[in-house]
Amino acid sequence: MINRISPREENLRLRPPERVMDLERLGSLHASRLSFTRSLIRQMARQRWQISAARFDLDDAGHGTVIYRLQTPRGRYHGVIFSQPLDDEARSDRVIAEAWDVTFGVVEGEVDEALLEQMAANVPLQEAGRQHPRLLVLSRANRSLRNFDAFTRALAEGYQPDPAWLTRAGYLYRTTAVYGNGKFGIADFGRLKDNPDFQRPFSAQMLAVYLLRHFSIQQVEHIARRQAPATAVGLATPLKRYLGIGNATGLGMAPFLINHPQLIEQWVKSREQALAQISAQTPDEAQRERLLALLERARRHLEQTITGDVQQGERNRETAAALPDVRAWLEQVPLTADLWRELTEWSHRTLPLEAQELINTLLLELYPAIVEPFENRMGVDERLELTPEMPLVHLKQLIETHYDWALAVDFDAPDSRYWFWYRSVEKEEPRLGVRGHEPGADRELKLAIAPRVADTHRAVEAYLGDNPHATTVEFLIAHCRHKDIVRRIQTMAETPYGEIRANLWAREMKPMHLLRAKLAFFGAGRFDPKSDRWVRITLFQGAPLVEELNAEPDDLRDFDDWSFPLEPSPETSAPDSACLSHRTASHRTAATNGVAL
Amino acid sequence: MKVSYNELQGLCRKAFLGMGFGDGDASDAADMVAWMQLHELDGLQALNRGLDYLLAEQLEGARTPVMLYADGDLAVLDGQGGSVLGSSSLALELGFAKARARGLAVIKIRRCHNRQLIMGYLARIAGRGMNATAFWRNAQAPLTEQVVGFRAGGSVPEIRVYAVTQVPEENAHNDGVTLLFANHVELLPSMRSEYAYDLLACHRESDLLASRERAMLDGILIDDAVWDRLKHLATRILVESTEASRSGAGPGTDDSD
Repeated sequence: MINRISPREENLRLRPPERVMDLERLGSLHASRLSFTRSLIRQMARQRWQISAARFDLDDAGHGTVIYRLQTPRGRYHGVIFSQPLDDEARSDRVIAEAWDVTFGVVEGEVDEALLEQMAANVPLQEAGRQHPRLLVLSRANRSLRNFDAFTRALAEGYQPDPAWLTRAGYLYRTTAVYGNGKFGIADFGRLKDNPDFQRPFSAQMLAVYLLRHFSIQQVEHIARRQAPATAVGLATPLKRYLGIGNATGLGMAPFLINHPQLIEQWVKSREQALAQISAQTPDEAQRERLLALLERARRHLEQTITGDVQQGERNRETAAALPDVRAWLEQVPLTADLWRELTEWSHRTLPLEAQELINTLLLELYPAIVEPFENRMGVDERLELTPEMPLVHLKQLIETHYDWALAVDFDAPDSRYWFWYRSVEKEEPRLGVRGHEPGADRELKLAIAPRVADTHRAVEAYLGDNPHATTVEFLIAHCRHKDIVRRIQTMAETPYGEIRANLWAREMKPMHLLRAKLAFFGAGRFDPKSDRWVRITLFQGAPLVEELNAEPDDLRDFDDWSFPLEPSPETSAPDSACLSHRTASHRTAATNGVAL
Repeated sequence: MKVSYNELQGLCRKAFLGMGFGDGDASDAADMVAWMQLHELDGLQALNRGLDYLLAEQLEGARTPVMLYADGDLAVLDGQGGSVLGSSSLALELGFAKARARGLAVIKIRRCHNRQLIMGYLARIAGRGMNATAFWRNAQAPLTEQVVGFRAGGSVPEIRVYAVTQVPEENAHNDGVTLLFANHVELLPSMRSEYAYDLLACHRESDLLASRERAMLDGILIDDAVWDRLKHLATRILVESTEASRSGAGPGTDDSD
């Protein structure tokens, strides 16, 4: 029984923006029920989307072309994948790479020979090609060499690969960029506005990644069969489900979060509104039990999350270590109407940030009926607009009320103006430089909003001294360089969650938090930072398989329950016939890889 | 070559930044050019025709319009011979503000060029619920006039271009643009005159909507030479790489896992 509260009460229960939009907290988010991978899988299942291979043309080494057909109730799409040989020395995850193991795209409509020929000539070139306007997504990926070789060898020899390999790196392929919205000639997102299949943000990109995951399974099984037709076995279902797609993401993702404040507002607000509604629900015993079970699964998942990054490793350990206290707290308290609010307030006072946000993420799991309507509210028609007639004194008040966090910084202090952002000549990759030490500050990318707001505030104050009754447009005609920041302030001031409250010039600023915030909304897990500027993550690990989707599940509760996936035990991973050989073989392979089991 | 709308807008923005436009002006100018091109109104050619002039202007420093006269519902600004891509957006915003306050406003920008491109920003003003119409005269013989009218909330205008065959006595050189904004009343061009004229072009809202739909489906056709020129200008905002900048920015060459 859902107790929906009024918008007014919901507003009263929303967490304050100074808490929610703190950069470190945003960098502590986990993938949730509202993440784009999760909502895509639910949409596909609800609407009974069907995926089939329209062409599977690979040689013994797995090179060639594969086309997957996707049929939705509304239309037909195709995932076209080109797999090609790649020298090991050319394999790089940097955006500046020029060749990849696989390149692929998602096409709206049919793929005839002419289009396939055009794609074959251009998709492998990625940024250097001219892409077709019916492509919705353009992407590429590289193999995880160790996993790929180990998986093909194991399957060819007739046993299941060790699941621990996927705990260490949960994929056979890592994407290095997944382009949408008109990049390099592909279709604009605007074209999908009226298309219910892909009008949600990033849903077409997530589909592309999901198809690549299916391809990676089919390809590795294909290679194994070609290598040893007599002994090869298929990958066991628990291992298939435990296999995701990796992604390497760097600073290239950071500008998006700053340049799309209305979209970020929509994502965060949807999550916070859902949490506000949930905080007003009176839990029953079954819901408490469900939360306890989810906590245990998340704890084990965190324990199984391997990262070489010392800080992230520490954060994972702290979070996992805090969860028994949460369990104890939950088991002791009576089932009152205010239990969820008390839980989040208690966790806010006592737990580390990642544990606090983990609890919020798990609460979202308990109430599908509350959360799912927000899936369709994650998009927005973005436009920052001026209110030119606004009295300038009102603009000044808006800045002081809603951007007090920006005015509080002393931008003359060297550590407050330490970094500058710029675009590198290397494929226009965004980078950070140290002001005064590295070249490029004269071409600074204006991503740091706080110092610009403070600068505008000073100019507004000075102008008001001589023109106390001025309007905003009169100020701007005299000082036009403030136009875009005023536009942003006027548009965003009334929206609580659009602005990330951080000084992006500050020496202590961690760009990783920006990346993680966006990746969590995508649905990423297994955050494995490689520096404070780039990270490896996994998408769709634990997600239902294409064959499970094609079976048109009636009950979506189990189908959709794939968050915080756990390593399958070797016994459950192995088909009965292969159990014995698996054990011996997995020990043998582990020994050769130097991995302790 | 065909490009997407987002690609066109993005490259124009970077090119304007490379020319020295401020961030806000670069975004507005890019939107204005891309809007024209999306609706098959040759925004890139209009930009290209004025590009050398625009580059020279930027070298001299931005020419922002100067207010010559203003009262509650009327303002006259001097564009100082600059492109409307520079800061005409604020003149239009002024008209919007005055019309919101007084119901109807007239803005005259004297001495400006690239006037065709003002349509893109008028579209934005109309999108905010304002009826907006622009009128200007071209100086060449025959004397031609152009009227572009958006209805409030509309995304595309009605456009009429016509030659005035009975040239009026008062025919001084006119390089300005006159803008009308009305809060509640449509100001769409509808040809009616006792004086002779030749209709040279008539773009109806439905034609422009069809153009946009076509461009969204098939991509936007552009001139490769202009595209290359913009790409070259866009490189001015890029910063050369150093070892320090590469360090920690992404995976190295050893990506095995």
